[in-house]
Amino acid sequence: MKSKRLTLAASAVLGTTLLVAGCGNTSGNASSGSNTTSSKVDASQQIAAPFQGAVAGLPQITAPKGFNWKQYSGTTLNMITENTPPSSALAENIKEFEDVTGITVNIEQADLSTVAQKVALDFQAKSDKYQLIYADPYQMLAKYSYDYLDLNQFINDKSLPPVPGGLSDFIQSQLMVDGYMGTKDHLYALPYDTPTMVLVYRKDIFDNPKYKSLFQKENGFDWTPGPNLTWEKYLTIEKWINKEVKAGVITGVQYGAGEQAKEYDSLQCDFSDVLAAYGGDYFSAPNLGSIGTTTPGKSLMDSKQAIAAATIYKQIVDNAAPGSTSWDWNGLGEAFAAGDVAMAPEWHEFASTFENPSKSKVAGNVGYAILPKGPVRSANIFGGTGLAISKYATPEQQKAAWLFEVWATSPQAQYMILKSKDGGETPTRTSVYNLPEIQKGMTPGTPESKAMPNLLSMNATLQAWKAQNVYMRPKIPQWPQVDNIVFTQLSDMLANKQTPAQAMQNIATQSNQVTGN
Amino acid sequence: MATKLSETETITPVAQPKKARQKSANITERWMLMPSVILLAIISFIPLFYMIYSSFMNYMINPDQPTFYHFHNWAVTFHDSAFWLSWGRTATYAISGLVLEFLLGTALALAIYRLPWGQNIVTTIWMLPLFVAPIVTGLLGRFLVNSTYGLYAWVLQLLGVHTEILGNTLTAMPALILMDMWEWTPLITIIVLAGLQAMPEEPLEAADVDGAHYWDKLRYVILPLIARPLLVAVLVRSMDILRYVDTIMITTEGGPADATKTIGYYLVQIAFQFQDFGRAAAVGLTMLVITILIGQLFVRAFTRGEQQ
Repeated sequence: MKSKRLTLAASAVLGTTLLVAGCGNTSGNASSGSNTTSSKVDASQQIAAPFQGAVAGLPQITAPKGFNWKQYSGTTLNMITENTPPSSALAENIKEFEDVTGITVNIEQADLSTVAQKVALDFQAKSDKYQLIYADPYQMLAKYSYDYLDLNQFINDKSLPPVPGGLSDFIQSQLMVDGYMGTKDHLYALPYDTPTMVLVYRKDIFDNPKYKSLFQKENGFDWTPGPNLTWEKYLTIEKWINKEVKAGVITGVQYGAGEQAKEYDSLQCDFSDVLAAYGGDYFSAPNLGSIGTTTPGKSLMDSKQAIAAATIYKQIVDNAAPGSTSWDWNGLGEAFAAGDVAMAPEWHEFASTFENPSKSKVAGNVGYAILPKGPVRSANIFGGTGLAISKYATPEQQKAAWLFEVWATSPQAQYMILKSKDGGETPTRTSVYNLPEIQKGMTPGTPESKAMPNLLSMNATLQAWKAQNVYMRPKIPQWPQVDNIVFTQLSDMLANKQTPAQAMQNIATQSNQVTGN
Repeated sequence: MATKLSETETITPVAQPKKARQKSANITERWMLMPSVILLAIISFIPLFYMIYSSFMNYMINPDQPTFYHFHNWAVTFHDSAFWLSWGRTATYAISGLVLEFLLGTALALAIYRLPWGQNIVTTIWMLPLFVAPIVTGLLGRFLVNSTYGLYAWVLQLLGVHTEILGNTLTAMPALILMDMWEWTPLITIIVLAGLQAMPEEPLEAADVDGAHYWDKLRYVILPLIARPLLVAVLVRSMDILRYVDTIMITTEGGPADATKTIGYYLVQIAFQFQDFGRAAAVGLTMLVITILIGQLFVRAFTRGEQQ
């Protein structure tokens, strides 16, 4: 009997400890190939790299004369990234990089929380399992900045390929968010993608003259989404569509609006748009959203602005499609593409899905606008991410990873990703937006817009990126906990377990505990 | 007395070599088991001691150099209402799941046992969910109840029920219990079926001769005879269900409004989302204690059964 008990206890111990210590595989599988660093490199002359697909008008990928692009041939790099369109596009075109450099790149895609967990565990173990990391500024860069390599060492090394077009070609506000933490002394990542929340709506509903005049007659204002739309009006439109759908007046849609209000990061993003529009924010320290800080100051979530924002946000979700409380951005995107909802706040990069007839029932009928405004402004949360290199990679892997960074974030690759059949992502480079072809693509119906459907949301997105419209959430090391507190309390509020004021107070109290205020 | 002593004297020389042989065999067995025991100790006790150590350390400031945190992690854990609420939800999930799986699994095993033919085919088909990874079960469940394209959601909408099953605090937990039942009821069925097939025929034949009805036979003959496999089935599932998080992670992530945040998911969140390994260790140890207590409960039930 003793042995039975021992076995039982041992099994229990093993089961529980494995649960806690699980995923502990820290063995990297990156293999190094031959390192034949070129000794005779003339840094005074830059020679175009042998990549295919150079685009006239865009800064080219170059390297110093004599640079051997194959010197890290045989090296294997592992990249971990969120399962987003640019990553799929990159994976699809990875052969182009591999053919030129001889470096093999394995691109592992997962949902954002899984990526964050794997990266954190990799860093805890000081493992080099992942050399290339999709470094979300809020979940991964702020907390683990010391685990990334300072890219300035490669930028300052004249024997290596420079950043094509220089750092000044990146959209500067995005470089600040994606690349730095606390100070500009170290550059940890280069901007890689640019998702930004905008309002997507059904043009066939909103442009329908019958619906439009009926609504105006009943409510006294033009419902066309744009800079004049407020969150109060959004709520009115949402309710009116619900009512008219039930009455059988409006067809082709089931609900006025959809939200990404699952108890998840998406709920915090969805709410942040309203919070900032009402003049609220999470913490009191300045520059929280741009360069970031380790001392965020006191929570501001018990402010009148935050409570007002929570109050209207609850009404918006209460009147949204019932699925909203179980949708993250993907669930909401699927519902919108299926024609279930007339409007929704959604990441602009979903345009490629919405405009693809094989994935969307509403292709060709989608309009894009900046998000409704509150008493203070329109606030469009930015969710862009940078590409970073792990400090724990071997020196050879680090240099091989730099070649990948140069290529993957180059205007040429950004252009390629944009044109990818997977829909890609809108570029992080101003030079790409300056191309006449790209400018034309922002107009619906043009051949360029059909080839690059993501551009259809760009007029709204460019508006959203303006300093007065963009919202950057706090970039602080404690953000994963604060984020969890925010979406958990909001979820409780949406389930009527607490009032908006109680939810905001709880967020403030718990956030202060986490940040030590 | 003299006679007895003389009997003892005559027996002892014969018994001693037998005992000695047995002792020697036991020692050999123990030596042969030693590598396994050492391996078991390495893979279970070292992490256990490390967990205990971790539960007194602070990893939040610098994970590389944790500092001694006294009983802070334990105090925070026991003062956190979310911890107790998670245990409450775990109890709901585990007890409901176990009871339903136990009843349905046993009933199906009894039904399959009585099939005149095709037992193997039915059992094989019934077992199929067991071969599905829990994460796939979650994906499948999420797909079926999705209000945009899910089959079950579509049927419910036809019936006039417009609710998001996984987005509603009232329906999310029952949906997860049903997913668990779909996957794990076959395990109970198989274990019970094995017990039924190993059952001696004589008591049943005797009951038949006595003219017992099926329900009487079930209550007084069959269930007592398969009590041990039933206990094994419940023991295995109860220890598993307490730490079960896969389906929750892929479907609700603890929501809505924490309605499905069980202790397992609570631990995952602290350990892997917050990277607070000290607190996670404290929570993990409480799970360990509860699991051992439940195990002990079943061991006692076994012991009592054997004694009777």
